[in-house]
Amino acid sequence: MSKSKRITVQQAAEIIKDGSSLTFSGFTIWRRPFAVVFELIRQQRRNLHLIEVNGGPQTEFLVGAGCVDIWESCWVGHELYGKYGANLSRKVAEKQILVEDYSHAEMMFRFAAAAAGAPYAATQTSLGTDIHNPAYDTLGQAGRRDGKRIAKHKYLFTEDPFFDGGQLVQVPAVKVDVALLCVQQVGEEGTVRVSGQYYSDPEAARAADITIAVAEEIVPEEYLRRHADQNTIPSFEVDYIVECPFGAHPTGMFGRYDVDGAFLKNFYNGTRTQEGFDAFAQEWIHGLDHTGYLEKLGWPRMLKLRANTAMNYSPREKKGGN
Amino acid sequence: MSDFASPGEYGLADLLCCAAAHEVQDNEIVFAGTGLPMVAIMLAQQTHAPNLKLIFEAGTLDGRPPEIPTSVGDARCEMGASRASGLYDAFSIAQRGYVDLGFLGGAEVDQYGNVNTTCIGDYLDPELRLTGSGGNPDINSFASRTVFIMVHEKRRFVEKVSYITSPGWRVKKWPGGEFVHRRELYGAAYRGGPSAIISTLGVFRFDEEDGHMYLDTCHPGSTPAQIQEQCQFDLDVSRVKGETAVPTREELRLIHDVLDPDEIFIPKAKK
Repeated sequence: MSKSKRITVQQAAEIIKDGSSLTFSGFTIWRRPFAVVFELIRQQRRNLHLIEVNGGPQTEFLVGAGCVDIWESCWVGHELYGKYGANLSRKVAEKQILVEDYSHAEMMFRFAAAAAGAPYAATQTSLGTDIHNPAYDTLGQAGRRDGKRIAKHKYLFTEDPFFDGGQLVQVPAVKVDVALLCVQQVGEEGTVRVSGQYYSDPEAARAADITIAVAEEIVPEEYLRRHADQNTIPSFEVDYIVECPFGAHPTGMFGRYDVDGAFLKNFYNGTRTQEGFDAFAQEWIHGLDHTGYLEKLGWPRMLKLRANTAMNYSPREKKGGN
Repeated sequence: MSDFASPGEYGLADLLCCAAAHEVQDNEIVFAGTGLPMVAIMLAQQTHAPNLKLIFEAGTLDGRPPEIPTSVGDARCEMGASRASGLYDAFSIAQRGYVDLGFLGGAEVDQYGNVNTTCIGDYLDPELRLTGSGGNPDINSFASRTVFIMVHEKRRFVEKVSYITSPGWRVKKWPGGEFVHRRELYGAAYRGGPSAIISTLGVFRFDEEDGHMYLDTCHPGSTPAQIQEQCQFDLDVSRVKGETAVPTREELRLIHDVLDPDEIFIPKAKK
């Protein structure tokens, strides 16, 4: 038997170093690895390079806390609980962060290329937009394109060399140090079973050098291997596993609990300023661990969010977060 | 005979939702975003387009949710779905050319249907950073038609958007950035482009050849002159067909009793 992959939330955060490039599981306000994100803020991680298929509350928390140096993605917000990323917007205006814009499909294809071990992807999406404006190559202008961790070019144009189909844009594969996943189940050897939409988790796990799976529950590996067709990520792509119930809160987890809309609304409304963010972090992050956080949240709230196992969402949680 | 609602029985959001639903044809594959477009598509599904196939960007293919999901990542999306997958599938399907219609929103639009959801002001020194592109450029690159639903204000219907997030009919050809017809740029991937904008004042369409926006119908209470006044560019009002169709009572019943009873996306008209 190989050695155990089990680690704690604190150890998971310690694997992510200052300056690491990092990506996450999930989609906007779903299945984001918050227990570890909060721990990164407690450990005051700095100069992170977030590379995300799309951003969400986890981006906003890390950006607000000053952990992030570069944000490379396509979108950030809180869906109907907050219309844009106020912290990112503030840091962009103050020039405290470098933003590299791609389109959603471009980011997805960049992850797929990395997952396939290819240097780039070719696509016809977003032609004619300012995403391809050479003057808007933020990382190039900042002198950050080392051709190692950050590609030599933001994109390149080419003509379809095989079928004369017209212009193509080549976008570089992502280089990700750590993928932090938050999922329903992981086996002791690392097999991941995601329920519901799996978003871009399989590509994120395969693209990253180190993959950490934070799961609602660690289950016997043998149980997952009885129905391999239902599994999402193979054991050997996962380096570390963490058991952490409600680890995605305030985002939701299919079949387990809903998005805590009221929490996200509060965060969005209260953290338009740095002072507001700092007060929020003081209340909800610093001085707590994950258990302390859940105790502060309180079980009536968690029970209200808990999903009905037949419907996979909570019929008690009123849509809209009121 | 349709039983049209009287003024006062419906609100602006109802009118927009029904106008959007009318853009959908039966048997189409439709890419739906969160919010009002989702309600519109599900309304079309319950009325004239029972065989439409719904795709959510987060990875649900041909879902039949009995109630409105709060976003495309929501657990409700999967109810009755043909397949729960991921973004690679959703965007590959779009690039492969399966998508007939996409519904999108935007902060600013120009006369060619170029849309901005990235920033207001200079990109390198913005007054306000918005959400960013999301899938807006991708759907608008690959769908045969796209419909935008937008708040109509003069500052949003502009001569030149701050940043072209999503491609319209005349787009920038890089590296120079000169405007060309999108057909010239998209080659084999060309399937169409923005087909309508449903704003809070009227419905706008595009001349596919010269790429210009024109006014198609005015919502009840607006005139072409008033709408021109709310655009920074010269709006072609020569093809106006009349008023936007108002909701029927059956459409209002479906919206408020069946699809969005909690008024998450569509408030009830005040009596």
